[in-house]
Amino acid sequence: MIRIRDLSFKFHGSETHALDHVSLDIKPGEFVVVTGPSGCGKSTLALALGGYLFRQYAGEACGEVTVDGLSTREAEIFDIAEIVGLVQQNPEAQLCTLTVADEVAFGLENRRMPKATIEERSEWALEIVGALHLFDRPLATLSGGEKQKVAIAAMMAAKPQVLIFDEPTSNLDPTATGEIFKVIQHIREKAGITVIVIEHKLGYLKPFRPRVVTMEQGRIVSDGQDTTHFPRFENAFEPTLCSLPKSSNGRVACTEHLTVDYGNAPVLDDVSLDLHAGEFVAVMGDNGCGKTTLLRCLMGLLKPQGGRVEILGQDAGEVPVSSLAREVGFIFQNPDHQLFAESVWDEAIFAPRNFGQLHEGTSQRVAQLLKRCRLDQYRENHPYRLSYGEKRRLNLASILSYEPRLILLDEILIGQDNQNATMIMDLLKEQTARGKTVVNVTHDPQTTFRYSDRILFLKGGRILLDAPISEAIGRLADLGLTDYLPNGRAERHSSK
Amino acid sequence: MSIKPKIAYQPRASWLHSLHPLIKLCWLAGLSISLFVVSSPLWVVTVLLLAVGSFPLAGLNLRRDVRGVRFLTTMGVLLFSLQAVFNHTGSPILDMAWGPANLLITGGGIAAGVYVGGRFLSLVLMSYLFVLTTDPSSLAYALMQIGLPYRYGFVLITALRLAPIFEVESNTVYQAQLTRGVKYDVRSPRKFVTLARQLILPLLVSALSKVDALAVSMEGRCFGKYSTRTYRRTTRYTRRDILALVLLAVGLIAVAWIAPPRL
Repeated sequence: MIRIRDLSFKFHGSETHALDHVSLDIKPGEFVVVTGPSGCGKSTLALALGGYLFRQYAGEACGEVTVDGLSTREAEIFDIAEIVGLVQQNPEAQLCTLTVADEVAFGLENRRMPKATIEERSEWALEIVGALHLFDRPLATLSGGEKQKVAIAAMMAAKPQVLIFDEPTSNLDPTATGEIFKVIQHIREKAGITVIVIEHKLGYLKPFRPRVVTMEQGRIVSDGQDTTHFPRFENAFEPTLCSLPKSSNGRVACTEHLTVDYGNAPVLDDVSLDLHAGEFVAVMGDNGCGKTTLLRCLMGLLKPQGGRVEILGQDAGEVPVSSLAREVGFIFQNPDHQLFAESVWDEAIFAPRNFGQLHEGTSQRVAQLLKRCRLDQYRENHPYRLSYGEKRRLNLASILSYEPRLILLDEILIGQDNQNATMIMDLLKEQTARGKTVVNVTHDPQTTFRYSDRILFLKGGRILLDAPISEAIGRLADLGLTDYLPNGRAERHSSK
Repeated sequence: MSIKPKIAYQPRASWLHSLHPLIKLCWLAGLSISLFVVSSPLWVVTVLLLAVGSFPLAGLNLRRDVRGVRFLTTMGVLLFSLQAVFNHTGSPILDMAWGPANLLITGGGIAAGVYVGGRFLSLVLMSYLFVLTTDPSSLAYALMQIGLPYRYGFVLITALRLAPIFEVESNTVYQAQLTRGVKYDVRSPRKFVTLARQLILPLLVSALSKVDALAVSMEGRCFGKYSTRTYRRTTRYTRRDILALVLLAVGLIAVAWIAPPRL
């Protein structure tokens, strides 16, 4: 079905090859997972298979890619699209209409299919992804997982022979992630098509026994059913016990009966909590449960409709954000939204400069942070030239550079491979050892249970669970939230 | 964070909502043009009353659903008052003097006030009514089905899809700057340029990455393969639509006959 021979690609302006002499054969109906560290060329490979790489991106290409006998370097995108469908990372960015029905019909309408066929195929595609009940819904009202199902259905409607998923769950919570992978497996079984999944979260895919292709620095370094790559922290996993008793530490922040709504239902509903110095708190819950809103309130960015937020003894509603920012560091979800400077170095030192904290020690600290975050070699580069994972690490260096006492993180690990994820979490753990407080919104149970002291689980804007890590496993399992437990832990718990 | 545009379609089960989008567009265009060509203050008042009265009939509330209705009303009243007080054409209606100050209100001034203030309010309220009662994607599909090239139609649809996302993102970038100690209370032009660049660049980068993803998604579904396309959604004209169109035509002809247009 797919034949890649000696494929190399170098993006315009880049010094290294994104793909470096890649050769790969994939048979019809195979289930292949492509994995590897961030920036290793996985997504570039997906773009090459769809033909987009050779038309929409400037660069030097050599080698050969054929899909069902069609060369993706030479054929028209439209002809390749009849065989290959590509589901991208961010569902928000790949949907182009306003309703589910219009979105799924879009590709069929472009192919000038008759109305009856469009309706029949749309229903079939939505049914196969388990989203037929969403048919009449506006896209704006869907959750992230539902949007991704619609994006998959929109591609499936054309009945491609090959479906490629480029990190389809990177923005989704564990429940939605599990559902999407079940959908992918279901598609494979029902439609019998070739499925290629580019993914870091290999633990979820293990039950489907896929062929695993591992890439590093643009090359394929292993190929086969290699289970040694499953999953991120399985071997190292051992939950830490609540390391610092709350009572022995000062309160850094608190919320009292916090209520926030954006005009419809409350996003946060009567949330009361205390955060203490030296705590590493993981905030978990399904997409849309209020995690990001809670972080924004703790930064003073949102004024609640009810209740109050106190940060370091000050009422967040009465202090300007720019003043709170000296003591509170915030990393938003999208790294591009918080890169303002001309170089990596300037970006890392941006906040200390704004806060008037520049002295000899600052430069030294920033240099160490960049080295630790593996960005030292890019000091003079423009931040926008970094990969997604590198930008995320630069975001972290940029806030740690001014040593805030409260560190708020919104899904810092998205786009990080195992090695970098470990480095980031180790760095944050060191901050808590120095008395800083870390509040980490995350969907990654592996790292949560390895590094956090306490779990705050939100559901429908309310705190469902607030417990030290030692208690959280049992209580999450009792609540039926096994998707939020580390791999293997849920099975062990349920077998007791 | 929820994405809620400031002015958006409000689904209801009213007769106005159920009208064909192109019929509503004809009403909006017809009445708007008539406001400028029909030389009758009474017609302007009639159209204004029609616009205001249609809100409750469409299940909408002026105060709740029209953003800045107080500002719009104040503007309308101000425009009317300025003309009424300072335009002294026509015969006097009121002439009052308080020492050196003199208030002269004339028929011509009142008429001019109605024209200016009434036209302003009518146009704004009718446009609001159109936006609040018309599903924008239905409008775009209807326009494409009467001949608008579908590439242009989808410019409108993707803009409607992405505009609220960019609005949220611009707010996020602004907040991200605040969290890093950026202050927006500076008066130096140089600092202003720096701040503007720091705000615009992240938005531009984000927009470009979305455009890339969208291009892959649309081309991957054969957008642009043929010069025409088919549609799942077809909008049909009902008897009510035809009646509404006839009513508009009769109304415009009648008013043109009673108060001949100034062309």
